Amino acid sequence: MMNFDIKKSKGRKIRPKKIVDVVLTYTGLIIISLIFLFPVLWLVLSTFNATGIFSAYGFFPQEWTLNNFRILFADSEYLMMLYNYPRWLLNTLFVSFFSMLFGTGLVILTAYTMSRFKFRSRKRMMVMTLLLGMFPSFLAMSAVFFIMAEFGLVNNLWGLILIYSAGAPLGYLVQKGFFDTIPNSIDEAARIDGATSMGVFFRIILPLSKPILVFTALTAFAWPWSDFILPQILLPDRDMWTVAVGLNSLDDTQFARFTAGSVLIAVPIITLYFILSKYLVSGLSSGATKG
Amino acid sequence: MIKAIKQKFIGIGRLFGSANPKTILSMFFMGGGQLLNKQWIKGLIYFVIQVGIIVYFVLRGAADVAGFFTLGTVAGNPAQGIEGDNSILMLTMGLLAIIVVIIYLFVWTINIRDVFDTQLRVKSGKKPLRFREELREFIDKKFYKTILFLPVLFVSIFGIIPIIFMILLAFTDFNAGTFPGLANWVGFATFGELFRAGGIAPTFFRILGWNIIWAIATTAINYFGGLGLALLYNKKCVKGKTFWRLFPMLAYAVPGFISLIAFRFMFSASGPINQLIMGDGGEIINFLGLDATWSARAIGIGVTAWLTIPTSMLLATGILSNMNKELYEAAKIDGATGFKQFTKITLPFVIFATTPVIIMQFVGNFNNFGIFFFLRQGVSESPGMYVATDTDLLVNWIFRLTVDNGLFNIGAAVSLLMFIVTSTIALFVYLRSPAYRKEDTFR
Amino acid sequence: MQYQNIENYSPKKSKLRVIIAITLAVLHLSVFTGLIACIGVNSRTELGQGRIIFTGELERGARIRVLENDTAIAQGFFSELIAAFNAEYASYNIQAIDANQGNFLDLEQAGPFGFGPCVLFQANDRIMRFAEGGHIFALPIEQLDTFEYVGDKAWNAFFMYAYEIVLDENNRPVMDGEQPLRHRVPSTFGAPVMIQGPVIYYRRSLVDPEVLTTWANIYQFNRDRATANPAHRGYIRSMIDPYFNFGYLLSYGAYIFAENNTDPSRIGLSQNGAERGANVHRQLASSMDNRVVDHSLTPLVYEQLARGIFAATMTTPDVYTLFIDALMRNGFSREEAVAELGVAPMPKLPLCGDLRNPDAELIPSIMMGGINGYAISAYTPYPNAALAFINFATSFRSIQRRHELLGIAPAREDVAEEVGGISLIINEELAEGNIFVMPSIRAMTQVWGPVEAFFADLAQDAFRSRPLLQTQTQQLQRLAQLDTTIYNAIWTFA
Repeated sequence: MMNFDIKKSKGRKIRPKKIVDVVLTYTGLIIISLIFLFPVLWLVLSTFNATGIFSAYGFFPQEWTLNNFRILFADSEYLMMLYNYPRWLLNTLFVSFFSMLFGTGLVILTAYTMSRFKFRSRKRMMVMTLLLGMFPSFLAMSAVFFIMAEFGLVNNLWGLILIYSAGAPLGYLVQKGFFDTIPNSIDEAARIDGATSMGVFFRIILPLSKPILVFTALTAFAWPWSDFILPQILLPDRDMWTVAVGLNSLDDTQFARFTAGSVLIAVPIITLYFILSKYLVSGLSSGATKG
Repeated sequence: MIKAIKQKFIGIGRLFGSANPKTILSMFFMGGGQLLNKQWIKGLIYFVIQVGIIVYFVLRGAADVAGFFTLGTVAGNPAQGIEGDNSILMLTMGLLAIIVVIIYLFVWTINIRDVFDTQLRVKSGKKPLRFREELREFIDKKFYKTILFLPVLFVSIFGIIPIIFMILLAFTDFNAGTFPGLANWVGFATFGELFRAGGIAPTFFRILGWNIIWAIATTAINYFGGLGLALLYNKKCVKGKTFWRLFPMLAYAVPGFISLIAFRFMFSASGPINQLIMGDGGEIINFLGLDATWSARAIGIGVTAWLTIPTSMLLATGILSNMNKELYEAAKIDGATGFKQFTKITLPFVIFATTPVIIMQFVGNFNNFGIFFFLRQGVSESPGMYVATDTDLLVNWIFRLTVDNGLFNIGAAVSLLMFIVTSTIALFVYLRSPAYRKEDTFR
Repeated sequence: MQYQNIENYSPKKSKLRVIIAITLAVLHLSVFTGLIACIGVNSRTELGQGRIIFTGELERGARIRVLENDTAIAQGFFSELIAAFNAEYASYNIQAIDANQGNFLDLEQAGPFGFGPCVLFQANDRIMRFAEGGHIFALPIEQLDTFEYVGDKAWNAFFMYAYEIVLDENNRPVMDGEQPLRHRVPSTFGAPVMIQGPVIYYRRSLVDPEVLTTWANIYQFNRDRATANPAHRGYIRSMIDPYFNFGYLLSYGAYIFAENNTDPSRIGLSQNGAERGANVHRQLASSMDNRVVDHSLTPLVYEQLARGIFAATMTTPDVYTLFIDALMRNGFSREEAVAELGVAPMPKLPLCGDLRNPDAELIPSIMMGGINGYAISAYTPYPNAALAFINFATSFRSIQRRHELLGIAPAREDVAEEVGGISLIINEELAEGNIFVMPSIRAMTQVWGPVEAFFADLAQDAFRSRPLLQTQTQQLQRLAQLDTTIYNAIWTFA
């Protein structure tokens, strides 16, 4: 069988149809890449624009400067009071780190449990989580504010971390899908050896779950950088703001600050995503297959 | 179904009928029966919970629940330093107290079941469980309870309570002008308001219609766009797949609101695109302006595609790599064209595999607040609509109603209606999907 | 849990047991309902005692949180103000500190929980909205130094009949059945600091101030300049912004709410020949270009004026420094910039409402404006110290310094006279009624959206290939539609 194939392909000439196909493919690739690249490129280049506004003339800056980045960190004393970008960065890092920690833990555990244990209220819980995610939540924010105020967690970054971590388990479907792909036989083998459920999870399953762990951690880490609704409600004080709130609070005259601030957070996040892209792929794929 | 409920009642009946004194004691003093069974720690825990909750109730809960039903009896005036009742606070705290009562009832039921189980154990000759053994159960058989306890607790407090709060608001007359006065329960009057003649029902249905079209269009475009892209990148003739895949990742990684603000500016009347047009001597095109219903909608769809196709692409890539390559080989030998291979092999598999994700994406697109909030910031109302523009989705409209116009109860009512629509659709599809029914197919 | 097959099931004993068990269970549960009934019903709030808020006794050790506006902070004025105040009141151990919160903090939500500021600086409509909600104190304005130096119109911006609880001689609320008795008390809720009214900024080297005296001249100037150089414009600004475009209707006799803007049951934007104003607006828009139909032009004006791409624009006095900064970025020294940037008062409108064929009779432009001032949150523990702060911040020296650093138009007439220039002009315009102070009633929030949509429609129409609002009749119809929309917005759910 195999010999037959090789003999055939050795003698084949390159057909014109194939050339057209390759050319079309690469043209498509280039166009698509440009479509995705262009707005981001424009955004990045705008940060070097000396006029400090969203390129007043044409698409690309005519005068280049690094000043827009400088003012984020070292502007006049008063402007720094108003737009304390370094502080926002620190706040967001803090929130991201801990909500990644707790949120990942909670959602992984939840997903594993939903995957492995067939307890009575399981299907009901699955339906409930689906429904919970579908509510538009502006009005609900008032209630969250009251609850947090009663617990004394307003103006406190831990309040934000609590809500992010608490909400993380709602998105367990992708992780559950991953665990669904790990055969039950592994669990059973471990149990025969005498392990408890907890043991099975921590000693056997977890080490196998690196891709999904990375995926979950990454998405959990990235979320606080773009959420501006919740922190605005829970953090009235400027010093407590996250980057998303801070950037959103800038009015139209502060474009320089906005673009520079945005690019500065976008670049590390993009880099992180690039480095970890293979985990993203495997994480999403296995998650989707079973759901 | 009815049979199951009947069974349950019979079960409860028998429990009552055959309960021994220890069990009956537990019905009154939580943990009493356990203590008599020498299960000291467990009994103590139950008892403490009972006392704790009752104390809370005496100190606070009872007043809160009463306040929940009255929504305040006397209005004060902070501007004179005279504090009165705050209706919304009372609604929230009352809700919390009611939830505590429900939790109490739940714990009480567990407590009784627990004693009864011990009773049966003793009957069959075994000894009551020691605490250590109970703990061991929680690491093993009941591991799921241990794990799920925190998530369920958190989701209840921060997810369910706020949503119930929002639903309840729809049954009050609370709006921005209420305070320092009091709000009242008005039953279904708010909904009546929505649908009466000359009311805002026409606006609601118009927006609903557009919303549905939008959700279907964007989900389809994003799904097939991502799939198409994944197939493109997967082609044999493409060298350096990782490199090409990085470009869509750019869109994925930049925080959403930043991209949206950038796009808004790009298409604005003084933005770079129009400057190019002006420079060439043309007339400025107002892509997102008042008149520009369809171009604004099209731009909205395009930008959403830009933002979400990368995710679909990653998804599809992973799934495709899970596919059985031999199917393709077999099809090729049978003489199937590329297109036929796609429709008969690839498509069914991918759709089957991703149905839950499709639902999630549909719902996400339906509720996509950010896209038109940022993109169409300059336009605040379209003719013939009640505080809405022609590109607003229901979420945007609710935002305008509540935040811009302070009509909290109307906003809550619309939210509820919207939720009913989306959840019906989602549930309908989800509950029939193989992913829900036959989960173990692939294990 | 299957309980169907239970060995202990013995019919005789069970009946009694069942009864005992059920009784106990029910008793148990009724504890809750009982508690609710007893405690709950008796926990009706007792209205606390009222008190005289402003006793004059300064609270020692007070830490007053002040929420200022961003420009004042950015230019360093606020730091100066606090430092000066703290120095003066050091002996009482009273300190003012920056509330450090976003300017659009919602006092209604944050205040009751103690997260709000003690003193806030805001525009009059926002302050009065808080006043309607009962979130800020009525001020004893006669006790303020600034009382006799600020004109009536400015004080009126913060005036309202407050719906207060009647107190008896012991300051206890007088009850009328279940609810306290209330009466209307004339109250003022804010201390005016500055007048916001539009002015024309222009480049002295590009346009002659004579041109800026009437809108008809400006219209002509625009057309001339565009013909001379298509890349340039004369006067330009976004024409859909309701705040700056309201004036075109108001000047010709339109009113927003009836009874001097207190009665929202009648909307009068189409009354008294307001369509002339609509016509003027549309014509003016047509002399600019399509960019004026959205807001994107607004942040660019500073830069583009500095580059000479256009010659004049309209905005508020407090962004003066932004223009100077832009000029300095484009090759001017500070002195040159100050010399080059001109500030002119509002041009006059033709009575007939046609910029192309203006008649000789001119009417003044009545433009929408507002008064910004200080107010005291009702949730502050230090009302007297807060009042002292406001007194300090509205003193002659403070207002003068504010003008020096920020270029604002002071509400204090003595400072305006001292400073002269555009500040004095704005003060006079206010006194003459050419600055129309934003109505402070809650219904106003429903006005902005439809009005913006109206102006967008009108401005866009100037560029439509098939215009729908070209004649004054059509414009009058559209205005009537505007009135209905606003009316519906206010009253659909009232």
